[in-house]
Amino acid sequence: MADIKILLVDDEDDFRTTLANRLRKRRLEVREVESGYKAVELVRETPLDIAIIDVKMPGMDGLETLKQIKQIQPMLEVIMLTGHASVESGIEGMRLGAFDYLMKPCDINELVLKIEDAYQRKLVQEKS
Amino acid sequence: MFDLKHFFKKRQEGKIRDAERARDKIRLAFTQRYLNFKTLLSLNDKVLEIINEMEQALIEDRSFGMAFVRGQCTALSVNLFKIIQSLNEITGGQHQALFGAYDRIWGKIDQEIKKKKPPAQGDWVLPLEAITRQMADQVGNKMANLGEIKNHVGLAVPEGFAISASAYDYFLDHNKLQDEINRRMQFLDPANIAQLHETSSEIQKLLTNAVLPIPLEDAILSAYHQLIKKLGEGVHVSMRSSALGEDAQEASFAGQYRSVLNVSPEYLILSYKEILASKYSVPAITYRLNKGFLDEEIIMCVGCMAMVQAETAGVMYSTDPGGLRRQDIFINAVMGLGKSVVDGSIIPDLFIVNTKNLNPPYEKEIQEKTKKIVCHPEEGVCLEVVSETGSRIPALRDAQIRPLAEIALRLENHFGSPQDIEWAITTDGAIQILQSRPLLVLKQNTAEETESSHPEIEQPLLFKGGITASPGVACGPAFRIETTVDLLQFPPGAVLVARYPLPQWAAVLNTAVAVVTDQGALTGHLAAVAREFKIPALMGTQRAFETIRPGEVITVDANQQALYAGRVESLLAKSKVKTSRMKGSPVYRSLENILKTIAPLTLTDPEGDNFSPEGCQTLHDIIRFAHEKSLRELFESEAEADLSEKFAKKLVSSLPMQWWIIDLEGGIKEDIAGAAVRLEDILSIPLLALWEGLSAVPWKGPPPVDTKGFLSILAESTMDTSLEQGLGSGMAAKNFALVSENFCHLSTRLGFHFSTIESYLGDLAAENYVWFYFKGGAADRQRKEQRGHLIRLILEKFHFWVQMKGDLLSARLERQGKELLKERLKVLGYLILHTRQLDMILSDQGRVNWYLDEMLKEISTFTTLPS
Repeated sequence: MADIKILLVDDEDDFRTTLANRLRKRRLEVREVESGYKAVELVRETPLDIAIIDVKMPGMDGLETLKQIKQIQPMLEVIMLTGHASVESGIEGMRLGAFDYLMKPCDINELVLKIEDAYQRKLVQEKS
Repeated sequence: MFDLKHFFKKRQEGKIRDAERARDKIRLAFTQRYLNFKTLLSLNDKVLEIINEMEQALIEDRSFGMAFVRGQCTALSVNLFKIIQSLNEITGGQHQALFGAYDRIWGKIDQEIKKKKPPAQGDWVLPLEAITRQMADQVGNKMANLGEIKNHVGLAVPEGFAISASAYDYFLDHNKLQDEINRRMQFLDPANIAQLHETSSEIQKLLTNAVLPIPLEDAILSAYHQLIKKLGEGVHVSMRSSALGEDAQEASFAGQYRSVLNVSPEYLILSYKEILASKYSVPAITYRLNKGFLDEEIIMCVGCMAMVQAETAGVMYSTDPGGLRRQDIFINAVMGLGKSVVDGSIIPDLFIVNTKNLNPPYEKEIQEKTKKIVCHPEEGVCLEVVSETGSRIPALRDAQIRPLAEIALRLENHFGSPQDIEWAITTDGAIQILQSRPLLVLKQNTAEETESSHPEIEQPLLFKGGITASPGVACGPAFRIETTVDLLQFPPGAVLVARYPLPQWAAVLNTAVAVVTDQGALTGHLAAVAREFKIPALMGTQRAFETIRPGEVITVDANQQALYAGRVESLLAKSKVKTSRMKGSPVYRSLENILKTIAPLTLTDPEGDNFSPEGCQTLHDIIRFAHEKSLRELFESEAEADLSEKFAKKLVSSLPMQWWIIDLEGGIKEDIAGAAVRLEDILSIPLLALWEGLSAVPWKGPPPVDTKGFLSILAESTMDTSLEQGLGSGMAAKNFALVSENFCHLSTRLGFHFSTIESYLGDLAAENYVWFYFKGGAADRQRKEQRGHLIRLILEKFHFWVQMKGDLLSARLERQGKELLKERLKVLGYLILHTRQLDMILSDQGRVNWYLDEMLKEISTFTTLPS
């Protein structure tokens, strides 16, 4: 678990820092940014395993960020997080290649399980 | 989870011979397929669980809002998408057409979720002269009725104007508030009262801090200047909510929103925003949730009317809301402003007028008046002490009563239903109507109960007196409420005891069984809400608050105005069960409609012609189709046969089940030739433990079935043909175990039951787990649930964490040492064999207990029962 590299993208500072710290407590390596642009920049330079992206962000929104990130690192698995449950954006995210779509506030245990699943998938995809 | 990383690492170590490399390749392919299959299985459970949860919300009388519906739908859409995706991955894209079916069916559901009110039409501000009752969708019922009364009934109504629904929409759009409000409402767990208060205050702050668009502010101020022209400089106004969807007969929203009295011009705009914000007050949120109102369907309009300097004011009902004295008009009156009647802060005088003869003498109950509410000269209202001489004078003279009663009849006649009317009499004696809305009148049968004779009661009488604000009998522990903080701790099922029947206490009326207050009257807001929720309310008791000890169990007989210590069964037996409050509400109907496109299963025959993506009519059909296809793919496809030939081996055993073992890594001894494997070849720790339990106690064959049990199975089988079809031809009896040294995933189908067990047992306790899912059964719902109940009782004995949703049972035990979990797996092994067809015989609770004892006895022969 310790070597799974995670990127957390959310414009809501409180939520992001709290979540990042909770994930770090579980010995995950977490980097955090507050916008889609910064996320894309980081993904260009750094190999990562999992990105957790908030759907609703000012400027570049979560779906656009997902799209661009996937172009740069296709193997990177993405979990979308949202405060606005909507079937439309859920389906759209999945079509764009998201691994899963969770609703805020999400249970930390559930999120960690999703991260593990996503990571397994990534390993398998890379080997095949 | 079995150790993939370790697997890959090990794979790379040392020199790998060609043959081994080929073998690894197949294993990898298999691992990938296995992961996909595992995903499919767990997603299948998950989506069915979501659907189950939605159905349960309808079946149980549970409060839920649109946020719940949207959340469940989103989770369902995402997980179902993943199912289709995984299915296509393992079949090389054979089922792309399912995406088409998925889009088609979601299209229907989406329409229902998004079904929105059409945007509000018309001017932002409308003078009262321009309003009629047909304009309720522009200005809300309250203002539409007032306009009607002024313009078409011809009664005196204060001058004023309404700020409309389109103004509300404009304000929200301008500040882009709706999305943010929805987001916060999604976070809200209504059961968490502390969080409810926090969210309520956050949203209200959001609304009051937002800026009114300038054109809207101008429109409001210019309407106010029209008032000045008519009534003179500095005229003060009353501002009241007039929400769309409010004041329907079954849902009054009585007192749940804010009213601001005697507003001076400089606070006009702020008061407007405060009233809009009160849509998110704690009582209003809870009320909507309990009554199943869509948050977005409630649009706040505001009525702004010249403040009436009332000498006397009050509320009258054109008939008895209890449904008894249908010929009588009930008038509550106080000195000063009528606010104290509706918020219950003063016990008002009561005058009863018979409609057959409107003349005196009238039935009267005159209270001693110590205080009254009046307008403060600057702004707002204040309490004023009533002089000693004035305190015993009735609030109404006989000469004033008849005109009021006539108005009540006129309004009832004009609107065509009993009315709840707020009125005021000014210093010059003129009557002004402030509000008129439909009055909820309870049905006659409830009323008959009220009349029934008093049975002999042994329990001590604690108190007699007060008025029946809402009829009925109920029993529970008393809980005293004085402040909002007390409200936070209100235990469900308790009797709410308070000095004043404040409207905000309505927030807990969904969980309270009865209400008892010292003050208050029939016409107050809390009384109206109690009648809507059909819980008994005894008000105006004067001293119940001091008499009742907190925590004491009491029986409230609101019909006979009595309180008893303890439970009075003879009284309770006569009172009826409450009906669902959600049923028929907009949210309820919405979920009901959505479920019609989600839950029914129409694709029941996998061999049928319509078993295709095109034949899918509901989401359940898609789930069923994908499940069938994935199972077939895993066990029947050529790719699989190729892999399985090398990997799936039949387990040779004496048990009445067929077992196929697929080794992922190190689960069986290496280099076993042929298609069979013996027990001694198995290395998988969890599988061995399971097997020990399976073979510990021999199966005695199917238990004797009573005729009813057998009939119920026949009935269910006819209803759902999929039960017989099983996994499709040829696969029906096979049980598959995917194993590695520390891991086992077992899917079994025994008779009509489907179960999944997954376990990882390593040296690190933190990584270990045992999961168990159990579903199906051929008997009727009750028997299935009895069986589920039995399994639950056994599993809980062994400290499993068990959840049941409908007849789906899931149990988990995690983060325990390997040795302990091995013992638990033995119990599961025993259970999957011995609960076979148990539901046929579980006809009553007595039998459940008998089997529980029997099974625990048998289990204790191979493992230690926890103390």
